[in-house]
Amino acid sequence: MQGYEGDTIGSALYAAGLRTFSRSFKYHRTRGLLCCTGQCPNCMMNVDGVPNVRVCVEPLREGAHVQEQNVWGKLDLDVLSVTDKVGGPFTPVGFYYRTMIRPRRLWPLYEKVLRNLAGLGRVDERGGHSRRYDVEHRRARVLVIGGGRAGRAAALAAATQGPGVVLVDESTRLHGVELAGVEVLAPARALGIWEGNLVPIDCETVLLRYRAERIVVATGALEQPVVFPGNDLVGVMLPSAVRRLVRDFSVRPGRRAVVVAADDPGLQAADDLREAGVAVPRVVDLRETPVRELEAQRRRGRVRALLVDGEEVECDLVVASAGRQPAYSLLAQAGARVEFDSALGVFVPTELPNGIEAAGAVTGEGLEKIDVRPEHEGRGKCFVCICEDVTTKDVKRAIAEGFDSIELAKRYTTVTMGPCQGKLCQLPSIRLYAQEVRAYESALGATTARPPWAPVELGLLAGRHFEPVRRTSLHFRHEEAGAQMQWAGPWKRPYAYSERPQDEVRAVHESLGVIDVSTLGKILVEGPEAAALLERLYPNRFADLRPGRIRYAVLTSDGGRIMDDGTVARLSEDLYYVTTTSTGADAVTAWFEWWNAVWGYGAEIVNVTGALTAVNLAGPRAREVLQRLTEDEVSDEELRYLDAKRIEVAGIPCLVLRIGFVGELGYELHFPSPAGEALWDRLVTEGARPFGLEPQRILRLEKGHVIVGQDTDSESNLLSAAMSWLPKLDKDDFVGKSAVEHFAEREERERLVGFTMEDGVVPAEGAQIVIEGYPAGRITSARRSEAVGAVIGLAWVPPERAEDGTRFEVRVDRRLVGGRVTSGPFFDPEGKRMRS
Amino acid sequence: MLDFLSPSRCQPGTTTSPLRRALDGADLDVVTDLWLDGKVEIRGDLDLIDPLPGEELVRLMPRRGYLFTSDDPADVVARLREVGLLAYDATGALAGMAIEGEQLMRRLTDLDLDRLPAAGPLLSRVAAIVIRDEGERFRVYVPQELAHDVGMAVLDMARGLTLDVSETDVAKELA
Repeated sequence: MQGYEGDTIGSALYAAGLRTFSRSFKYHRTRGLLCCTGQCPNCMMNVDGVPNVRVCVEPLREGAHVQEQNVWGKLDLDVLSVTDKVGGPFTPVGFYYRTMIRPRRLWPLYEKVLRNLAGLGRVDERGGHSRRYDVEHRRARVLVIGGGRAGRAAALAAATQGPGVVLVDESTRLHGVELAGVEVLAPARALGIWEGNLVPIDCETVLLRYRAERIVVATGALEQPVVFPGNDLVGVMLPSAVRRLVRDFSVRPGRRAVVVAADDPGLQAADDLREAGVAVPRVVDLRETPVRELEAQRRRGRVRALLVDGEEVECDLVVASAGRQPAYSLLAQAGARVEFDSALGVFVPTELPNGIEAAGAVTGEGLEKIDVRPEHEGRGKCFVCICEDVTTKDVKRAIAEGFDSIELAKRYTTVTMGPCQGKLCQLPSIRLYAQEVRAYESALGATTARPPWAPVELGLLAGRHFEPVRRTSLHFRHEEAGAQMQWAGPWKRPYAYSERPQDEVRAVHESLGVIDVSTLGKILVEGPEAAALLERLYPNRFADLRPGRIRYAVLTSDGGRIMDDGTVARLSEDLYYVTTTSTGADAVTAWFEWWNAVWGYGAEIVNVTGALTAVNLAGPRAREVLQRLTEDEVSDEELRYLDAKRIEVAGIPCLVLRIGFVGELGYELHFPSPAGEALWDRLVTEGARPFGLEPQRILRLEKGHVIVGQDTDSESNLLSAAMSWLPKLDKDDFVGKSAVEHFAEREERERLVGFTMEDGVVPAEGAQIVIEGYPAGRITSARRSEAVGAVIGLAWVPPERAEDGTRFEVRVDRRLVGGRVTSGPFFDPEGKRMRS
Repeated sequence: MLDFLSPSRCQPGTTTSPLRRALDGADLDVVTDLWLDGKVEIRGDLDLIDPLPGEELVRLMPRRGYLFTSDDPADVVARLREVGLLAYDATGALAGMAIEGEQLMRRLTDLDLDRLPAAGPLLSRVAAIVIRDEGERFRVYVPQELAHDVGMAVLDMARGLTLDVSETDVAKELA
């Protein structure tokens, strides 16, 4: 195809002789240029892999690959056009709600067929992010939407008041045009008006999100089609299409035309046509000559003649317009009322919200009354909505079936729900409804205007793909060491550094390991009433915790359920250092802040999770190595189990917490995150072997330590989770106290216990526990432990089965495997190693 | 007691920027790493603060704000605590970068760039503090744990504004 500068793909194709541009949505009827302004669906094609491009407004470019869409076969010979010829009785309005639902077993087949047939263009699944989209946030004092006469005047007037005036127009006519003091965006399309005067503007691959102090909508008025049989045929056009083809592209739209219009702008098309050398044998002014019968007759999908009250006029072009309807949708989205103006026969916007103004034809100004018949008589399909192939017959049938509300009927018939979003079918469908239900249009009202006002690529709405990963300061050290990284909530953490996590477990048991625990939530609670706040937040005591000491802490919800766990270290009289689970930091911080605000304690809560790197140095050699790196005393006398102390390690200030989640002598070092790599490197150089999450899970399981969220769920409480020692019910109050008291009084439903498997099978987490043939519980954690020499785990079982040694069965791969309840830690039950 | 929060108390040569890997070898000079900028989180009556030369107070809430300082933030923390405020060294918590170009910033945040400093979303998802310096230079502070991805995205976006789209990381990755 060839064209000239300024041509669109559509105009070039038309000039080259192409008349059929697409096939219709449902009946696969031939469709040609109708509006030539980018409003209707008739010229939608696939351009360079992008479906549903309206080629009538898409600039012609070198090498563009243009392809038809929604066609089975060729554009001129579409196999699915059989639905137009024989499918009518089988595909009435709403057929998909009633047919193809029986027999039910065939529904998957029906669905597959329907899904293949439905829709218009197809998204290229291999396209991926073939285009780059960005969002740009802008602000304007005055944003004018629409670059017609009224829009330009409004913009220029606003510019005299100061800077910050932006004019948006969807056509290319204003491209490069300079207006004094006005930034002109063209071609660009406003997609809607949201709360706070937010207007997203489609600017090719950039979505401009404008916030404007004032918005002036000057979107003008849209020519409305005349409803008559054959009004969708190739060769039926709106006057705008004729104007564009003749004036903008110097293309002759046809050889012989009939003009049928109800207003002066429509009738002017006849002059344009004559100037272009098109014969115009008949002009019908619907204002003076009300026509009863109007029928476009066809040959091979194209107009052959127009029948006007029995008189057949041969032609290959019918230019038809029922008048113009204000393009009020953006104003309606902004909150304006939309009312039927009986004097004009159209819907107009009223009661504009603050900061929103309207100018020009969108207000109804300068429009002539629409007073044509809602439908004309004749034979053949008469379309009220060309996007969705909804005929007048469909609308009448919907009314007969009881859909007499315009909003319900819209959903049933899908009229106004197609690509034009009601621009060409809203008014005709409402007028037809009004006629059929014998009501005034003002009583029916208009359907809700929803964004987007103009079609937009989904990629533009989705924008840039950005899923930020939370990385600890040691992230790249883990990758460099060959760790397999896995998601842990919003973080990426090392699963293990080798194929055999058991080797890392052995290193911790026999020598020294180090794990990155920076993801633990870390919260400072400081103030004169910090102790009182924590005392009331947690079920156990913290007011009596001595400075420099640590206590295990479990947070309960106000329903008494386990929310999160961690440790609380008292650093000074008024200062506590709280750790949480890796995924719990933000939620616990918010929880603390919420209750602090409710109770009004004099305490500040500061989330310092990101400020600190934390590593756990664990194993029999932990003290020896730590002592080598610090001048501070870390002997068991100076740094006892559950002590917290400020020390300096390898020149880095650290808070050391002597705790033992993995069951060995362990020191958790918390220090400034920028020093993460330096200290990690020193520890590894000193012989600490990095271990990941998987070895940590095995190690903690050997101790029977619970992971909140893994071994507990939203229903778990402290008593059933074998932590009845923790809540201090003699405290005045704590969050969830009454619920915990209630749990203590009522019969227990299940209990968390340890277990070993009988034949070395590792059941899946979540596997069902079966007792006497019935499901009775579930596995929450299970691993093989070399140190214990068995498969060990945690499980929820009925209380009567929670006794030590009780046997149960677990469903593993469709068979039942025996397991036995084992109370207490599996490894080092007296905790000598971590206290050593 | 809280000096374990302070990178400035670490031995020289032991600290590294969370943006190092993202910005190393970057072919654009529109982004500069400001990780050493001192940042102090403050709780209490912010009116008690009289910023010294080289300090800038950013109020986020009536009793919560940040003091950006060119001095040793650990010393600033001590000074603020003496006047009765609760202050915490947040230098390690926040990564900082200087970004050149208003258009680039408009693609990064929907904050009103004429009403800075302010806290708000960067790239829709990351909480950030944004400060405007002179002209089209901005300072952006984000949680250090997200800094690498933010840095990469900012650079890629900057390249998208200045280079052929096919040269961007996203395009290369997809290719």
